[in-house]
Amino acid sequence: MAFPRLHGVGVFLGTSMRVQLHDPLAIATSAIVEAILLIFVWILAPALLPFALIGALVYSAFLIGQHVLNEAAYIRIDHKINELYLASPLSPEAYFVGLAGGILTAYLPTIVALLVLVEIVAPLSLAAWGALVLVLLATWAFSASLAYVISTLFKDMKAIWPYASILTNVLGVVPPVFYPLSLWPPEWQAVALVLPTSSAAALVEAAAGLQSLDPGAFLLAAGSLGVEAAAAFLFGIWWAHRSAREV
Amino acid sequence: MADFDHVPRHGRVLPAWSLVGWKWISRNPAAAIVPVMLPFFFLYFLRLISPPEYFPLAVAGAMLYTTQNIGSWCLTDAAANRIELHLQELFVASALGKVRYLVGIGVSNLIPAVPALIVEAIILAVVWPVPPAAWLVIIGCVIVLWIVFSAIGLAISTRIQSQREVWPIGNLVFSTLGVLAPLYYPLSILPPAWQAVAQFLPSTYAAKLVQGALEITPATGDEMVLDAVLLVGSAAVALAIALRIYRWRDP
Repeated sequence: MAFPRLHGVGVFLGTSMRVQLHDPLAIATSAIVEAILLIFVWILAPALLPFALIGALVYSAFLIGQHVLNEAAYIRIDHKINELYLASPLSPEAYFVGLAGGILTAYLPTIVALLVLVEIVAPLSLAAWGALVLVLLATWAFSASLAYVISTLFKDMKAIWPYASILTNVLGVVPPVFYPLSLWPPEWQAVALVLPTSSAAALVEAAAGLQSLDPGAFLLAAGSLGVEAAAAFLFGIWWAHRSAREV
Repeated sequence: MADFDHVPRHGRVLPAWSLVGWKWISRNPAAAIVPVMLPFFFLYFLRLISPPEYFPLAVAGAMLYTTQNIGSWCLTDAAANRIELHLQELFVASALGKVRYLVGIGVSNLIPAVPALIVEAIILAVVWPVPPAAWLVIIGCVIVLWIVFSAIGLAISTRIQSQREVWPIGNLVFSTLGVLAPLYYPLSILPPAWQAVAQFLPSTYAAKLVQGALEITPATGDEMVLDAVLLVGSAAVALAIALRIYRWRDP
């Protein structure tokens, strides 16, 4: 069969989504970090709330992708159902895409709730909505692919959380995701436009008219995010096939 | 049983659990680095968005937040011991009582937090003049919060059914408690309803005491004595509730 073999992805996506929906508490509490940062901004710098809300959306898309890390490791290490899936007609590529898609579908309510808040605080134009959807999909694709690849490297569930925590904080809290690019040191702003999360936030904020990006900065942000998302997703597909093994 | 009469049964809990704490971070360097880094991610964020005069307050708050987080790690550890490793059955059957287990888990999880607390104390000393009496107040508050939140974490762990519940429940309880208390901002700038809710939390009084001792927010001697009494009182209530929830038996 031609590469990539995605036979069965729809069925596994449904399975993965139902597994997630059995854990409503995890879904309900998944946006707590975003909520904390939004509260900080609301109390300490209310003028930055529109930036923080768009940042919260980007961060949520990134975090939903990162759930693949825990879930894939949990299925493989704790439950060992991975062996069963791989012995079935489901291809490793379909397993990765289905797992990530199922988690995304189940966790969509957090994104929807944040979208409602964005519409209340800083209503978006049609162009900004288009940019937002594209950017969120790219951020999620990058994050889920990275998370799946990393999940295959662990042998112990307890060792995962520190790495997951570093990744989400370094890419989500430190760079200008919840605050405007202009608050970051000018000499580091090009770096922010290369990172998938902060470039995503900058693009949506520019499309929403919250801040301006010169053409060079816009190209750098859009190009980086597009290339990183596509490369990470293709690598994730390839890695899923290459790393398919029992245990 | 006579063969075991010579086996010491007292006085080994703290070193044993300290060793457990040290082994965990020595085998997983990332687990040692992350607790140190986490409060600084928040501090960096707050430094960028908040008025500069709040920064010393945020650093002192980060010390209390780090201490609160120990409760979350206690929850994770104790849940793994009980659900995944089935060690609690062994502990219950042994001479180790439930209070010693609580102290042991608390000590072993304090170890990864100590480097973070030291670095935060150094930053605080750099950005704000800290009188010796204020150091004593900070250390006292850290100890009280460590005991209370370790007990809360351990108590919740005994009610959890599956490892999957650990993260959402821990996240919900400890993040919510961390944000509701005015650790990173003065209580006075919060909305009135929030201020009212915060009065029920031990961390609120710890934060007020520390902020008062550092003279970041004005507080009279009488107010500080009242805050100290309320800290101890609310901590005692929280501890009593935690011990009530805590189940010391085979799963």
